[in-house]
Amino acid sequence: MDSFQIFTTSTSLVDSVDKKLLVVLRDGRKLIGILRSFDQFANLVLQDTIERIYVGDAYGDIPRGIFIIRGENVVLLGEIDLDKEDESPLREVPVEEILQVQREEMELRVKREKIKNRMLSDQGFSVDQAEFGDLY
Amino acid sequence: MLPLSLLTTSQTHPILVELKNGETFNGHLVNCDNWMNLTLREVIQTSSDGDRFWRLTECYIRGNTIKYLRVPDEIIDMVKEDAAKQRVQAGARSNRGGSGNGNERGGHHGDNRGGRGGGRGGRGDFNKSGGRGGYNNSGGDRGGRGGMRGGRGRGQSQP
Repeated sequence: MDSFQIFTTSTSLVDSVDKKLLVVLRDGRKLIGILRSFDQFANLVLQDTIERIYVGDAYGDIPRGIFIIRGENVVLLGEIDLDKEDESPLREVPVEEILQVQREEMELRVKREKIKNRMLSDQGFSVDQAEFGDLY
Repeated sequence: MLPLSLLTTSQTHPILVELKNGETFNGHLVNCDNWMNLTLREVIQTSSDGDRFWRLTECYIRGNTIKYLRVPDEIIDMVKEDAAKQRVQAGARSNRGGSGNGNERGGHHGDNRGGRGGGRGGRGDFNKSGGRGGYNNSGGDRGGRGGMRGGRGRGQSQP
């Protein structure tokens, strides 16, 4: 059984070097780039990175370049299957459009949250004013 | 090339720093250390909502508040040059050290980069991973990477 032990430390990233990765950050951002380097803290270097914004079945890409990501902000990362990538049912839209849609969705979410909080406090519940989003 | 070496190479170049709270700092990197603490000059600070700006002539950022850094695309090429130079220097050093010791672990690789990769393979055996042992036999490029990480291992043992 011992021989099937796999590395769960950042060492396991050696096999992902020079591969195209999706990295999700604690703030919800999705970065797609080529992993060039990492260290014991899982600090990452991504080259030719794009930030991909998803809303519903649409997505938009913003070119960003080289990132040095501080490891503690990473939620997950994974290699992208280049073959399956092309079969994605999602549709790409221009950056301006996705940013607009994202803003609208955000406003809608804030509005809903306000209504929910008001109803909760009317019923006598204490309402957590913590910003929603970072529940990691 | 480790992430922090890339950062060191970025000194004097313009970089963008985003903090965990979403504030961003654009400025020229003056200095950085092993904890990712930074000093910047000629800085533009942007609030997290992106609609307020401040100009700072100089600023210090504590490493643990950083979310990520963005550096110019050219830096990666400069790092390659730096790494090549360092390899030449390291090669000169290890030739001198190796002359009195015929059975050093990396000896079978025939070049200095592969030799240091061999050191890491040893650690893999310690962890009982069959796959790690195979790492030693991989191509020159991967051997070279092992070499870099071996160097870092020594760094860790410092206080």
